[in-house]
Amino acid sequence: MRLQLRARSTRAVFASALGAALLAWAPSARAQAVVFDTAHTLWHEAPTRTNMTVYTPGAAISATPAPWVTVRGAWEADVVSGASVATKAGPAYQGVNPGVDVVTTASVKDFRQAPSAALTLRKGDVSYTASYTYGTENDYRSNSLFVAARTDVFQHNTQLELSYARNFDKVCDRIQGVNDKASRFRALEDSSGCFSGDAVARTRRDLGIDGLQATWSQSWTPVFATQLVYTAQILDGFQSNPYRSVILGQGIKAQEYHPQHRTRQSITARANLYVRPLKLAVRLSGRGYRDTWGITSGTGELEAERYLFEGFRISARGRYYRQSGAVFWSDDYTGGDAPLGPKGQYWTGDRELSPFSSIGLGFRATYGIAPEKPIWIISAVKASIAADAIQFSYDEYTLGGTPITNARAYILGANLSLSF
Amino acid sequence: MTKTILILLCLGASACTTVKPTQRAVLADPIMQFEGDPQASAQYRHAVDNREGSMGGGGVSGGGCGCN
Repeated sequence: MRLQLRARSTRAVFASALGAALLAWAPSARAQAVVFDTAHTLWHEAPTRTNMTVYTPGAAISATPAPWVTVRGAWEADVVSGASVATKAGPAYQGVNPGVDVVTTASVKDFRQAPSAALTLRKGDVSYTASYTYGTENDYRSNSLFVAARTDVFQHNTQLELSYARNFDKVCDRIQGVNDKASRFRALEDSSGCFSGDAVARTRRDLGIDGLQATWSQSWTPVFATQLVYTAQILDGFQSNPYRSVILGQGIKAQEYHPQHRTRQSITARANLYVRPLKLAVRLSGRGYRDTWGITSGTGELEAERYLFEGFRISARGRYYRQSGAVFWSDDYTGGDAPLGPKGQYWTGDRELSPFSSIGLGFRATYGIAPEKPIWIISAVKASIAADAIQFSYDEYTLGGTPITNARAYILGANLSLSF
Repeated sequence: MTKTILILLCLGASACTTVKPTQRAVLADPIMQFEGDPQASAQYRHAVDNREGSMGGGGVSGGGCGCN
């Protein structure tokens, strides 16, 4: 019964999004703009002992039946398969257990779907957007509300935007013993029955996420523009990986245990410059980040793009990222000298909470045409392909003392946009 | 801090009308947009953000991550 209700709920969101888009594309409004977008991304990585492949297809249709309103329906998915670390141990523990493979991995299969519907209203140079996204996974549910307001001032040289999102999420977890402390919690075995209610020892933990973003975009000269973005996020609830265990001592294995609260903030500065003599657009971006788990990070991105001939442009981009580890991060909680040893009441086996850096390189090719006379009913076409490679370098994270090698991710992307 | 922000905003405001509508051809070109392909950019960010301990600068909408 619950399954049916949830399936109906998913269908209802998708149907209402599609209906709204089709309604806006009524014959009387056929002269107005309708845009169909589809994007596909493939992520693959196979570092030491694990691997992960994620295919992300997405499609969106938006219609503007009148200058003051745009409706949009979208759908996105993640098809996840691979193997991830199920039990994490460090070098000290492996050292006193020679010949035993203390680190284990488990196969991962998941399918995330996220249909969404959005409405944008405009009056003069001000626009308001509201959207709803319903995300489902085998072990996760997300209800996300989003609102944004944007205005153009000073003859469109200044754009100000403020957006807010609230997520009401639920994460599947294993029911733990009533009198058990966190150090005795056991990891979730699999996602079967997580949201169907027919499996024993399953529960759903809440995760609330508030996100706020303020953006100031500014055109300074006919060839130079900047953007400043402040982003804040407050998470409250279950944030651990329910499937992962960490070795805490000889014969003591416990489910990963993260703090319930996390506040995250970042400031991003971007600059776009068009170099006329080279007919080249140069985009520079820098981001500083800090959160209450003690992670600080810096990101630098540089991208250059130019037209090779009318409608066809190529870009090359580079990205550098470096972060510190969370205050409770340790590669081995069983003891030893720093950086090993217990770090308080929390423990993690998440390499994303360890100190590391990454370097990314990629390119994108885009072809877009907008003929004076529409081809059939199509007034504009844009297609692009992209390829990126990211090399990760982990400072401390090991699998039982074995450093992670071949931590390189490959990302392929393809995008098609049709305007009617 | 507040004064600095106000001064920056005032400086920005005073310089805001330096680009006339007739001079916006380059700025309006897709090559100069901060977010040229929003859906493709969002998917790239979604993939990368899920492998890092940080976030920000690319929107706050949610919907799960498909990353366990």
